[in-house]
Amino acid sequence: MKKYAYFPGCSLEKMALSYNVSSIASMNKLGVELQELDDWNCCGATAYFHIDELLAYTLCARNLALAEKENLDLVAPCAGCYKNFYFTNAHLKEDPDLADHVNFALEEDDLHFSGNISVRHLMEVFVQDVGFEEIKAKVSRPLKDLKVATYYGCQILRPRKDHEETEQPVFFEDLMSAIGATPVDFPEKVRCCSGALIITNRKAALSMVRNLMMSAIKSGADVIATACPMCQVNLECYQKQVNQEFGIDLSIPVLYFTQLTGLALGIAPNKLRIGTELVLPTPALSNIRRGSADA
Amino acid sequence: MADKLTFSDEISNLLHASHGNPLKACIQCGTCSGTCPSTPFMDQSPRRLIAMINANMKDEVLASNTHWYCASCFHCTVRCPSEIDIAELMYALKRYSMWKNQYQEDLIGPTFSETFVKTIFNSGRSYEPVLATSYLFSLGVQEFLSEAQTATGLMLKGRLPLLPARIKRLKNFRRMIGRIIPVGGIS
Amino acid sequence: MTERIGVYVCHCGTNIAGMVDVEGVAKWAAEKLNHRGVVIARDYKFMCSSLGQELIQKDIHELGLTRVVVAACSPHLHEQTFRNACKQAGLNPYLCELVSIREQVSWVHTDKAAATEKSKAVVSSGVERVIWNEPLEPIRVPIHPDSLVVGGGIAGIQAALEIADAGYHVYLVEREPSIGGHMAQFDKTFPTLDCSACILTPKMVQAGSHPNITLMTWSEVTQVDGYVGNFTVTIKQKPRYVNAELCTGCGICQEKCPKKVIDDVYEAGLGNRKVIYNPFPQAVPKYPVLDRPNCTYFNKGTCKACEKFCPTGAIDFNQTDEYFQVNVGNIILATGFDLFDPLRIPQYGYKRLANVYTSLEFERLCNAAGPTNGNIVLRDGVTIPKTVGIVHCVGSRDKNYNAYCSSICCMQSLKFAHLVHERTGAEVYNFYIDIRTPSKGYEEFYQRLLEEGTHFVRGKVAEVTTAARDPKEEGKLIIQVEDTLIGKQRRIPVDMVILSAGIEPRSDSKETAHLFGLSCSADGWMIERHPKLDPVATMTEGIYIAGCVQGPKDIPASVVQGAAAAARVLGKIQQKEIALEPIRASVDQDKCSGCRICNNLCPFNAILFHEDLMVSEVNPALCQGCGTCVAACPAGAISGTGFSNEQILAQMDGLLLHNIQALNV
Repeated sequence: MKKYAYFPGCSLEKMALSYNVSSIASMNKLGVELQELDDWNCCGATAYFHIDELLAYTLCARNLALAEKENLDLVAPCAGCYKNFYFTNAHLKEDPDLADHVNFALEEDDLHFSGNISVRHLMEVFVQDVGFEEIKAKVSRPLKDLKVATYYGCQILRPRKDHEETEQPVFFEDLMSAIGATPVDFPEKVRCCSGALIITNRKAALSMVRNLMMSAIKSGADVIATACPMCQVNLECYQKQVNQEFGIDLSIPVLYFTQLTGLALGIAPNKLRIGTELVLPTPALSNIRRGSADA
Repeated sequence: MADKLTFSDEISNLLHASHGNPLKACIQCGTCSGTCPSTPFMDQSPRRLIAMINANMKDEVLASNTHWYCASCFHCTVRCPSEIDIAELMYALKRYSMWKNQYQEDLIGPTFSETFVKTIFNSGRSYEPVLATSYLFSLGVQEFLSEAQTATGLMLKGRLPLLPARIKRLKNFRRMIGRIIPVGGIS
Repeated sequence: MTERIGVYVCHCGTNIAGMVDVEGVAKWAAEKLNHRGVVIARDYKFMCSSLGQELIQKDIHELGLTRVVVAACSPHLHEQTFRNACKQAGLNPYLCELVSIREQVSWVHTDKAAATEKSKAVVSSGVERVIWNEPLEPIRVPIHPDSLVVGGGIAGIQAALEIADAGYHVYLVEREPSIGGHMAQFDKTFPTLDCSACILTPKMVQAGSHPNITLMTWSEVTQVDGYVGNFTVTIKQKPRYVNAELCTGCGICQEKCPKKVIDDVYEAGLGNRKVIYNPFPQAVPKYPVLDRPNCTYFNKGTCKACEKFCPTGAIDFNQTDEYFQVNVGNIILATGFDLFDPLRIPQYGYKRLANVYTSLEFERLCNAAGPTNGNIVLRDGVTIPKTVGIVHCVGSRDKNYNAYCSSICCMQSLKFAHLVHERTGAEVYNFYIDIRTPSKGYEEFYQRLLEEGTHFVRGKVAEVTTAARDPKEEGKLIIQVEDTLIGKQRRIPVDMVILSAGIEPRSDSKETAHLFGLSCSADGWMIERHPKLDPVATMTEGIYIAGCVQGPKDIPASVVQGAAAAARVLGKIQQKEIALEPIRASVDQDKCSGCRICNNLCPFNAILFHEDLMVSEVNPALCQGCGTCVAACPAGAISGTGFSNEQILAQMDGLLLHNIQALNV
């Protein structure tokens, strides 16, 4: 079984527990073990970087050092955590002085950063390490006729410019195709969900969420699939507020890609915590059950 | 005689470690502001803010809400034709304005960030209910009620943390933070 | 016998004198180098002036100088000046050396005392070296009167016509079936709005029928050997499968050919052509070409409709590549440009969103002979756009793609705006960063477009999207941009988007450079001898560049460069022979062991190997005197006139002041 050090992140503990549970379950089904990092601390999200960069690096470096201790690559399901760890890893590797400074602090917890592991986003593990062929082979309940708006969001793609396609990637759609679902043409798929602005600039955030919802609904999607707890919460938990703000009446369920993948791999919906959403996806998902019965 | 550092020099120095080109390279094309989803809500667009920094308009820059309205989506950075890391600039300005304690009144961002950092110091993990205090009181009545409704809904679905989580080796963690003396010190 | 050496130290105003005690250096040379042969040492304000030169000439006559050392600026600037001065005074020019105490001393040091000492050392090294100089005569090679022009676009055509009109023979080689280049694709040209074909075709016809031009289309250069005045070029003529002797250009074969394919060269992918085709009606030459990879006969063995219907029996399926070897004295490279591919900017939606066009596609749309007969319509072939957005700087001025400005796109975008106004009455938006209209009539053209009511939005387009946010955006292409002059983000719904894509070097420019022995920049543009003062010559004697191959430029500039290159060529031909710098390497064949290490090291391919004698030989005409082989030869068998071992070692001794210290012992 391939094993990774798993960093759930603060939101996956409660708010995005369904992401946590479905990630572990679907990865297990695909022969990958996600071993939760022992005594991990918050990655600092964006807020820490607003106060002090060095402190923020230290917070991330502690988790990297914990993973290094296990000699495992670090996998983060949250795009925000992923971005923080990826860049901390890169910057500390490039800059030995910075690493020294950070290591000086890490000594207090008997930890040391050496820069010998890599950081992955959870979807990368599905797409690159497991691969579409393998996933297709293990799908027992293809999500036939389920139209999915694949919402990439920002930090899984940017600012990594070495990433081949930051403007029109297709790997998320390919993943959805591999599990039998139908990805729709979703023009706003790489636009921002507003991140922390939902707290700090509600007006801007609501307009950004509205644009995403409108685009997904117009594309004919039954459900929006996300790869980040911030995106899921912003898109799902504020639909009422969006409607109030703009005098419209929109609604669309938002699920994690691991929940959809888990379903396709034959895991029971309640084991994926489907049903804990504020906007229930059951109407959309009921289509698939019919589909598989015909299959 | 030592030269006095201009505001644009100060900001450039803050960006020294980022991999982008200096702000001086900006050709004012507007790609960043055209891309940024928050531009319609900012008082100065990111491009204009860079022009203001290059013109050393320190007080006006710090008085704007631009950097506090950045969602750090990094779309500007990847599209900038002069390869300036604009999102990183926004982070730098946030840090600078916290350090100088100079920012627009009534912004939620600074309070939120400070609260967040304190929460981490206290427990090593973030805790949403405490963070909520930084913005709840800025909401109007109807918005407050909606928020309460959402929160209740989440609680009923088991998604709201009732108790703050804590890491085990909290003492070491705090000492670790203490070894990095942040700009402005920890309270 | 000691030589009689004159030393001249230049003040160069304060350029040198400001940092070096020039009088002191001259005095020092007269005194301390006297035993080495220095009979006179002078300092003067501006040695390169006529008076300065006369100083030298006077001393040559009156003092019987046998060597001259001038300590002044870099040899790049005035070596020729002083050598000529000596020559006029009767001293062999190669017995004069110019040592740099400006670029190498006064301009790079700030300590006056140290700079002065260094200048003395430099003068001393010049003196020691010049003692070993030998009188040399330039190498004279004859110039073959024929010329080769590679590339049949406007620059190449201009060059070929100029040379041919002057009475000399030219080979004009073009890769496509017809000459004309990109200019043949355009509809109108800025700023006069002349019809492109109308001004181009007369020149094309002239070139096609000129008695002094041998037109070779559907051909490519495959090998270039030789040197200035005497190039041997191999040209491959690809099979047209049409016998030019019999073909009348009647066009029946094209009518009857049953198979259509997308024309992605001339029609920029917008229209179709037959498998046997002329790219456009005014093609020169008129003989069509058969596209073998797509031909039913060649793929399946059937059809042959063209052969059946050809009234003169001109179709010949048995044709093969033909190779011609020609001798020419000079070559002009005018191979043009490629368009930047906007697929590299996915957020602009090219090919993903139907009604996004590139500039070349739009030219074809506007062209009366194009796929829509000159009607500006959307991809459905029917709908006339009501709003059009023209995006400047696509792929240019952008470090993510090409950092340079492509020079022509602003004018091209203005031209498009005008054509859209004229033919559709649509609302036109131009999205720009700066409006670049430098040449004659260009700014006035911009004024005209302003008066026509074009909406100019200063902002680089962030993206083109279909994600409509309100009813007026539904079904449209939405251009999202910051209007920087207002400072607000705007979303402007349009029906059609035209991307003014930048221009790039040809995709195979590095191979072309290698083929001709030229250098190209990292971007891929060919490198000129001097960007300001010599834009059509290259570092390779006898090979010139003209048009966009040298860098982005408009049609007038391409024509000018074509004419300039032709003038240089004609100048060379008139001289009948060329004098080459005699600073050359030569192989002492007695010492050569035949190891051939030097052969591949030579950057100018100037060393041949004689199999029979097992020794290498340097071709003095190709050799540029770089010295690489001299350094590399393990047997020390190669020496250079102008940089022999003796000269270099003497230079070092002089620099280290060994010649002085010996006296102090």
